[in-house]
Amino acid sequence: METKKNNNKKVLIIFVLLAFLLLGSFVFFIATKISSEMSQSAISNLSESLDLIRGTIEILFQRDAEYQKLLAEELVVVDNLENYILSYDRNSTIVKMSLVLSGKTEGISNNGRLFSTDTLDFSDNNMIDGLLVSTSYLNEMGTWAYTMACPVRENGEEIATLYVEYIYDSLDDVFPDKLYNSNASLYIMDAKTERFLLKPKGIGERVAGHLNLADFYRANKILEENIQSEIAKSIKNGKNIMFYHDINEKESLIYMWAVNNGSLYLIGYVPVEAIQREGKAVKQNILNVVIVMLAAFFICCAVYFVYEKQQANLRKEREIERELYNKQLAEALQVAQIANTSKTMFLSNMSHDIRTPMNAILGFTTLLAKDADNPVKVREYTKKITSSGQHLLSLINDILDVSKIESGKAVLTLEEFMLNNTIASVDAIIRPAAKEKGQIFDVAVTGIKHEYLIGDETRLNQILLNLLSNAVKYTPQGGHIWLRIIGLEQRSSQYESIRIEVEDTGFGMTSEYLEIIFDAFTRAENSTTNKVQGTGLGMAITKNIVELMGGTIDVTSEVGKGSLFTVELELRIAHQKADKQFWKKYGISRILVVDSDRKACQDIQTLMEETNLIVEVLFNGEEAVRAICETSVTNDNDYHLLLLAWQMAGIDGIETAKRIRKCCSKPIPIFLLTAYEWDGIEEQALQAGIDDFLLKPFFVSALKEKVSAFYAEEKATDDERHEELALEGYHFLVAEDNEINAEILQELLEIEGATCEIVENGQIALERFEHTAADEFDAILMDVQMPVMNGYEATKRIRALERLDAKNIPIIAMTANAFAEDVKDALNVGMDAHVSKPVDMIVLTQTLHQYIKQKEGGQ
Amino acid sequence: MKGFNKKCLLFVVLIATLLTTIACNQKENTSVNLIDNDENNKRVVNFFGPMEKSDPNADNTARTAHELTVIMAEEKLGISVEYRTYTAEDYQEKTYDDVILDRARNNMDDIYLLNPDGIQALGTEGKLADLSGLACVQNLREVVKTANTVDGKLVAIPQEIVVYGLFLNKEMFDQYDLAIPNTPEEFLECCRVFKENGIETPVGANRWWLECFVIAQAYADLYNGDNTKAEIAALNAGEAKLSDYMRPGFEFLKQMIDLDYIDAERAYIYEAIEGERPDFLAQKTPIVMAYWGAANTDTAYGNPDFDLQVVGFPSHRGQMPVVSLSGYGVGINAEHLDDTLAIMDVILSDEALKIYTEHNKVISPSKNVEVACIDALKPLNDRINEGVYVLGSDANMSVEQWGNICLIVRDLLSGASVDECMAKFDQLQEETLK
Repeated sequence: METKKNNNKKVLIIFVLLAFLLLGSFVFFIATKISSEMSQSAISNLSESLDLIRGTIEILFQRDAEYQKLLAEELVVVDNLENYILSYDRNSTIVKMSLVLSGKTEGISNNGRLFSTDTLDFSDNNMIDGLLVSTSYLNEMGTWAYTMACPVRENGEEIATLYVEYIYDSLDDVFPDKLYNSNASLYIMDAKTERFLLKPKGIGERVAGHLNLADFYRANKILEENIQSEIAKSIKNGKNIMFYHDINEKESLIYMWAVNNGSLYLIGYVPVEAIQREGKAVKQNILNVVIVMLAAFFICCAVYFVYEKQQANLRKEREIERELYNKQLAEALQVAQIANTSKTMFLSNMSHDIRTPMNAILGFTTLLAKDADNPVKVREYTKKITSSGQHLLSLINDILDVSKIESGKAVLTLEEFMLNNTIASVDAIIRPAAKEKGQIFDVAVTGIKHEYLIGDETRLNQILLNLLSNAVKYTPQGGHIWLRIIGLEQRSSQYESIRIEVEDTGFGMTSEYLEIIFDAFTRAENSTTNKVQGTGLGMAITKNIVELMGGTIDVTSEVGKGSLFTVELELRIAHQKADKQFWKKYGISRILVVDSDRKACQDIQTLMEETNLIVEVLFNGEEAVRAICETSVTNDNDYHLLLLAWQMAGIDGIETAKRIRKCCSKPIPIFLLTAYEWDGIEEQALQAGIDDFLLKPFFVSALKEKVSAFYAEEKATDDERHEELALEGYHFLVAEDNEINAEILQELLEIEGATCEIVENGQIALERFEHTAADEFDAILMDVQMPVMNGYEATKRIRALERLDAKNIPIIAMTANAFAEDVKDALNVGMDAHVSKPVDMIVLTQTLHQYIKQKEGGQ
Repeated sequence: MKGFNKKCLLFVVLIATLLTTIACNQKENTSVNLIDNDENNKRVVNFFGPMEKSDPNADNTARTAHELTVIMAEEKLGISVEYRTYTAEDYQEKTYDDVILDRARNNMDDIYLLNPDGIQALGTEGKLADLSGLACVQNLREVVKTANTVDGKLVAIPQEIVVYGLFLNKEMFDQYDLAIPNTPEEFLECCRVFKENGIETPVGANRWWLECFVIAQAYADLYNGDNTKAEIAALNAGEAKLSDYMRPGFEFLKQMIDLDYIDAERAYIYEAIEGERPDFLAQKTPIVMAYWGAANTDTAYGNPDFDLQVVGFPSHRGQMPVVSLSGYGVGINAEHLDDTLAIMDVILSDEALKIYTEHNKVISPSKNVEVACIDALKPLNDRINEGVYVLGSDANMSVEQWGNICLIVRDLLSGASVDECMAKFDQLQEETLK
C-alpha cells in the first residue's frame, strides 16, 4: 500500500517536472524568438536611422553641389569676377569661396587672401554630383572642412574653377540630438585618412572621444586582426559594416556607414541594451511572469505538502485516538465486566448475608412460639432476634448509604462537636470489641490545638468506626490496633488540619486488592467462605464520605504485616464557649500534670493553652510528691488539680497519689490518666485517694466533665432521667398504614404508659384530628408513605386548620424514609421532628417529651 | 474553515480579474501632444577644449571635477554647455593652440580653454571679452589676475593654478643612493648615475613641457629677487636681452640631449604625458615632468606602483616650481555672450571652485578655497607656500613666454644649436618690441 503510494507520488512529481520542463522550454523558446525578433527589429531600426542620416547628408552634399554649379554659371555673366568673389560673405555652410582662372595655380578668396590649389588634395577623385571633392582638412577657422571644385564654363570653354569650402560643422543639425537617449556615439570619419572629423555635440561622451579609427580601436579594445581587416576591406569598398563587440564591458553594436560612396563614414557604437530596451523589457516581463508562475507553483506545492502533512498528522492523531478509544472501551468493558461480576458477587453475598440473619430471626421466632412459656428461653431468643435484626439493619443502612452517596444525594450535616466526644464514643464501641478479640487498642492524640470543631460528627464517627471495625475485624487475636489523631500544621486560622491514622497488625492486603479497596461491592475475601462478615461497602462509603468532607484517604498495607489507613481532613474551628468562668467557678487556676511521657505532657499543655490556666508538668511521681508536699508546707502556689498518669517510670500514678494524700492534707482533686479501662484498678485507685480517672487521650472537655462531676453540680441519675422521659398518661394519634408496625408501636407506647389511636392513612388522621376535642391528643405520630393521603399532605392540612391547637400540636414523622432530605422535607411541611424506623423507643420518648414540653410551655 | 478558504479564493480571483481588466483597458492619453517643443528652444553655450585621447572608461578626476562645476551651472541657469574638441593626431597636425587661435579669431565658439600663449595672443588681439566684471573676480588671488590681465582687461580665469614640477620615482633614486637634485649640476649627476646603471633615458620628455627647465633657470632670480618689476621693464624696453635669460637653460637642455639623458627625437613627437607615461609607470624612466593635477588622476600619474615625489625644477636657487596659468576665455563676439558670462560666473564661483579643488586636490585660484594636497605633492606645495616659484607666462612681459619658449625648445630638439635658439629669441624680442 505504502509502496504504491510512493510510486504514485513519484509519477506525480515526474509528471509535474515534465510539465514544467515543457513550460520552461516553451517560455525559453518564446523569449528567444521574441528577443531575436526584437534584436532584428532594433538592428533594422538602427540601420534605417543610419540610412536616414546618410541620405540627409548626401542630399545636403547634392544641394551644395547644385548651388555651387549655379554660382559657377552666374560667374559667367558677372563683369568683375574678383569683386563678385570678394563680395561674398561666409555663412554657416560655405565659409570660403575662391576662384582660380584657368591656367593659373593661384586665385583669390572671398576673405581677400590669395588662394592656392596646392593646399588642397583632390587625388582621390571623390565626386558629388559631378564635382570634385577634396580630402578633408583643418581649415583656417580651426574646424574640419572640404572643398568642392566646380569648373566655370563659358560657351563650353572652362575659363576658371570655383572652389567653395564647406565645413562639417554644418552637418551638426543633421545628427539626432539624443541618438538612443544619448547612449549611442556617432562620428564622421574621412575614409582615406581615417581621421574623425566631427563629433556632433550632444552625442556620446561629453569630452572623451576619438581622434581617428586607430584611436577608436585602441580606446574600445577592438584589437582582433580579423575584425580590423574586415573593416579595412569594407571601407576600401565603400560597404557598410555592423558587428557586435564588447565596449566598456557592455555588449555593443558597432556600425560604420558609408556616405557618398564611402568617401566618408558615419562611425560609432551603441550598447545593445540601449537599442533593445523593448526586447529587454519583454524578456524581463516574461521572466517576471515565469517567476510569478514558479512562485505560485511552489506556493501551491508548499500548501499541498503542508495540507498533506496536516492530513497525515490528522490521520495519525485519529489512529492514536481510535487506539485510545479502543483501549478505553476495552478497559471500560473490563471495568463493566468486573463491576458486573462484583455486583453478581455482591448479590450473592447479600443473598447470603441477608438470609443469614433472616434465617436466625425466623428460626428463633419459631423457637419463640414453641418455648413461649419458658421466660428464660424467650429472653434468650428475643436477644438473638434483636441481634440478628440489628445486623440486618446495619446491612440495609450500608446499602442505602452507598446508594445515596453514589447518587450524589448525600449531604453533610454540619454542627459543632467536641473531638473528645467523638473519640470517646468510638473508643466505647471499639475498645470492647478489641478487648473481646484480645487485641491491644491504643488511642493517641497529638498536636491538636482545638477540640471544638464544626463538622458532620456522625459521618466522622462513621469513618472512624468503619476503619477501626475493619481493623478489629481483620486483625487476629492478640494483634495491635492504633488510632492516632494528629494535628497538622494549620493552613488557615479558621481550620484545624487533622490526620487520622488507623494502623493494625492484621492480615494486610495484597497490592492488587489495594487498587480496588475503595470500590463498592468488594471484599478482601469472599464472605461466604470467610469468617469475616461484611457488606463490602464500608471502604467505598468511607472514601466517599472523606471526599465529601474535602479530605483524602490513603492506605498502605503488606500481607501478613498489617495495614495503615491515613485520612486527612480540615475541620472548621468552632467559637469556643466561655471557658474562664468554668474554671473560676471551681477555683481552679493552677494544674499539675505528671507523666513520664513528655509528648503527652506537651499535648496537654498545648490543649490547655486556651484555658489560660497555669499547667505545670513533671515527669515522675517522686518529683510530683516533692513538689506538692513542699507547696503544701509553704502554702505558696497551691495546685488546684492533679493529673497523674497511671503508668510512669518510677512510682506509678496510684502510688504517687497515695504519697501525696499522705503528705498533703488539702483536698486537691486527683484524676488518674489512663489509656485503659478503670474497672481493674478502680478500687485500688480510690483507696489511694484518686477521685476519678480520665481516659487517654486527654481532652479539655473530658477534664471539664470530670471536674463538674467531681463537684457534683449535675448529679441527675439515670433513673431520674428515665422518670422524666416516661410517657405516662399521654394520648397520641398514630397514622400508620402497616398493621404490624401499628401494633408494635401501640404495644411499645403502652409499655411506656401511653395510649394511642391508630388510623390507616393521612386523610383519616386529618378528619380524626379535625373532629376531636382540643388537647385530646398530646401529639401526632405520622407515617409518611400512606395510601389516600400521605403524611406530608396530612400535616400541611392539619396545620392549615382553624383550630388553635392545630398550629402547635407536635407532629412527629415516623418513617422508614431516613435520609437527611427526608428530615428536611418533614420539617418543611410543618412537622416538628423526624424519628426513623425501626423505632428506637428511647429516641421516640425523648423527642415526644421535648416537643410536648415545648407545647405546654407555649400554652 | 472550508467556507472561509473558498471565500478567500473567490476574493483573490476577483481581485486578479479586476486588475487584469484594468491593465488591459489602459489607453494612452490621446489628447496630449507627446512632443516637447521646448527642447528646440534650449539655451546653449559652446565650449571648446582639448579632446582627451585616454580610454573612455578611465576615471579622469580632472575632467569629472570640471564637469561637476559645469553641471552645477547648467542646473542653476538652465543653459546647456555643449562641447567641441580638438587634439592633434600627431606632431605634424595643427596643434590645439593653433586651432584655438583660428577658432577664436573666427568666433567659432563661446568659451575657450586657453594656454598662457593663447591667452596672451588672443588678449592682445582683442578677441577675448573682459571678465573683470564677473562677481567671482573679487575672490581671485592677485597672481591670477596679474598673469591674465592683458591691456588692462582680465581675459581669462582658470579653475586651478597649474604648477609644473618634476615627477620622480623616489624608489629608483633611493636604489642608487641619489638625493633629490636641487641644482642643474646635481640633476646632471643624477642622470649620469642612472645612465651608468643602465637607465637608457633618465628623463622622459614631451614636446610641450621641456621648456620648464629653461624657465626655472631663466627666471629663478627674476621672480624670487627684489627687482622683478625693473627686470621685466628692462626686458619690455629691450634694455635687457631675453636670450641672456634663456641661455643657461638651453645649454643645460643641450647637454642633456648630448649626453642622451633626453631622447630628443622622441621628445619632439611625444604628446604630453601620452608619450612618456608608459615608461615612467613601468619604472624604466625615473624622471618626467608634468603639472600638479597629473599626480591626482588615474589617466596620468595617480596611484603609481612606486613612491612618487613631485619637486620643483633644478635651479641655482634650488627646486623651482613653474606656475603656468591656463584659463577659460570668452570670445569677444561670442554668439551667446550673456549666457556664457553667466556660466563663467558660476563655474568660477567659490562654491564651484571648492568642489573642483576638493575633487581634484589642486591649488585653487580663489583665495577663499584651500585643500590639503596628497603626500607626493608636498615638496612642491612647500615651495609654493614659501613663495618660491617662477611664472611660466606673464602678461606683463611683452614677449609671450610660454608658447614661444616651447617652440624654440622644439627647435633645439630638432637639432638647432643653442646659439641659433638664442638668435631666435633676439629676433622675437626685436619683432615684438617694434
